[in-house]
Amino acid sequence: MTLPADGPAIAIRDLAKSYGHVHAVRGVTFDVERGEIFGFLGLNGAGKTTTIRILLDLLRPSRGQAQLFGFDCQRQSRLARAMVGYMPGELGFYSDMTGLEVLDLMARLSGGRHDATLRLQLADRLELARADLRRPLRAYSTGMKRKLGLIQALQTDPPLLILDEPTEGLDPLVQRALHELLFELRGRGRTVFMSSHVLSEVERLCDRIGVIREGEVVLLSTVEEARRRSGRTVQIQFTRPVDALPLPAGMSLVSRTPDRWSVKVEHDIGELMPLLGTLPVRDLEILEPSLEDVLRSFYRTVRP
Amino acid sequence: MTLVRYSLRRWRGFLGATTVVLVAFQFFMILAARSLELSGRFKLLEAVLPAFMTQASNMIAASFTGFVLFGYSHPLVQLFLIATAIGLGSEPTAAIDTKFVDLMMSRPLPRTVPINRTLVMLLVATIGAMVCMLAATWSGLRLFAPASARQPSAGVVVSLAANLACLVLAWGGLTVALASVSRRRSTVAATAGLLAFTMSVLDYVGRFWDAVAPLARVSPFHYFDPFEIMGGQPLAMSNVVTLLGVFVAGAVMANIAYARRDL
Repeated sequence: MTLPADGPAIAIRDLAKSYGHVHAVRGVTFDVERGEIFGFLGLNGAGKTTTIRILLDLLRPSRGQAQLFGFDCQRQSRLARAMVGYMPGELGFYSDMTGLEVLDLMARLSGGRHDATLRLQLADRLELARADLRRPLRAYSTGMKRKLGLIQALQTDPPLLILDEPTEGLDPLVQRALHELLFELRGRGRTVFMSSHVLSEVERLCDRIGVIREGEVVLLSTVEEARRRSGRTVQIQFTRPVDALPLPAGMSLVSRTPDRWSVKVEHDIGELMPLLGTLPVRDLEILEPSLEDVLRSFYRTVRP
Repeated sequence: MTLVRYSLRRWRGFLGATTVVLVAFQFFMILAARSLELSGRFKLLEAVLPAFMTQASNMIAASFTGFVLFGYSHPLVQLFLIATAIGLGSEPTAAIDTKFVDLMMSRPLPRTVPINRTLVMLLVATIGAMVCMLAATWSGLRLFAPASARQPSAGVVVSLAANLACLVLAWGGLTVALASVSRRRSTVAATAGLLAFTMSVLDYVGRFWDAVAPLARVSPFHYFDPFEIMGGQPLAMSNVVTLLGVFVAGAVMANIAYARRDL
């Protein structure tokens, strides 16, 4: 299967999915470009998995359209799915199969295209012992099943990886190994679309993020842009007590003691400097917001 | 075919055990018939059999031949085979229940693969069981039939097996149709099992009570008439067509419903 020459890896337009009066996804629109790692974030039940399952034609949308590399996810579903390696959030393996049997089955269902060497390399890097691959899944821990899920998704070296909570249940060392793998895949032009709750992981891995809340995408940006939107905090220590003064527009006093201010700055800090020049400043500290701070505000905002 | 092979591997223990029980049952019936034949007790048996059985089968039910053929009409045999068909037929729902469907259908497979895999499994299991039962009957008769006993003809045995296979497939088709619209295997198995029990009772009552007889025609069991075949009647093609029609209708409905549904 050759990839169409251009266009985004994922294109979603006005996608909606309802179950009676329950609207799981409401008019979602965004693109995921080729060769990027895209983090899809949201609380439980926000619509992440529903969106992913529509991309894989496991669910039929109530409205809208989704495409993978230009192939319609419903009308050209098989062509679209041929481009994807998928790791679901809940791995429904049959416990009587061995790890190798699962990998063989999944490879055959993908058309038999897999590289045995790549598979073993993946097992080594994700620290799933070859002896464990020959054991039935009933003897696997949750973490081992997650590793097996990742190997089956990666073993055919697909152009697009869709990973639903990929590091859930993995120990920190394996998480790091997976991060390195994903960076390598991006380096080879592969696209990664991953949902996650772990914001530090998203911050470290993703080029862009999308936040979904109650079925609607409320933020689409790069990680840097998301941080900038939240503004920075400037902590000012004075040599002697200072009275409160009016701040320039776009700035607000978060906390104040006689000799210490904490100022929230939404845009450039430069506008604060003339004011500080008139005050007995001893020390200045600029705090960058973490992605977690930013996203918490998006998660929490209540719809009017 | 990958999924069929995979399913056969997963089911091999259960299908093997069911087949062994059915084969053993054929041998048991032949050995029991041999014992009754050699001790001359079929006359006593004739007296205790229900009238409809002896009349419908031209008295053959209380004979060596009738006993051997009971291996294809006994309620336990029907129960075993139909329960297996219900188990196999509910496999598409099991894949949804266990979430295996997410892994399977994320691969570039046609949407209806889980249904058609199950239909192939039903055909393979049913035909396989019948072939093994026929082989058991043939070898049992060779080994244990007394020289004095009148043996059933091959045509009658094969006709009974064919009618039974059609009945099993009909229940398999109905179960697959149910599975194509359900999310839980337990719901499908319970519904199909209850339906089979109800239809079996309806057919039984319909054979004795004229008022219920027209209603009994909706029961697939109505189209499985072992005693007529045992009595020398040829296998009614209308019964075969009806039962296979139920199987095909179930298969078509399941394909359409599964292709459209959310998984």
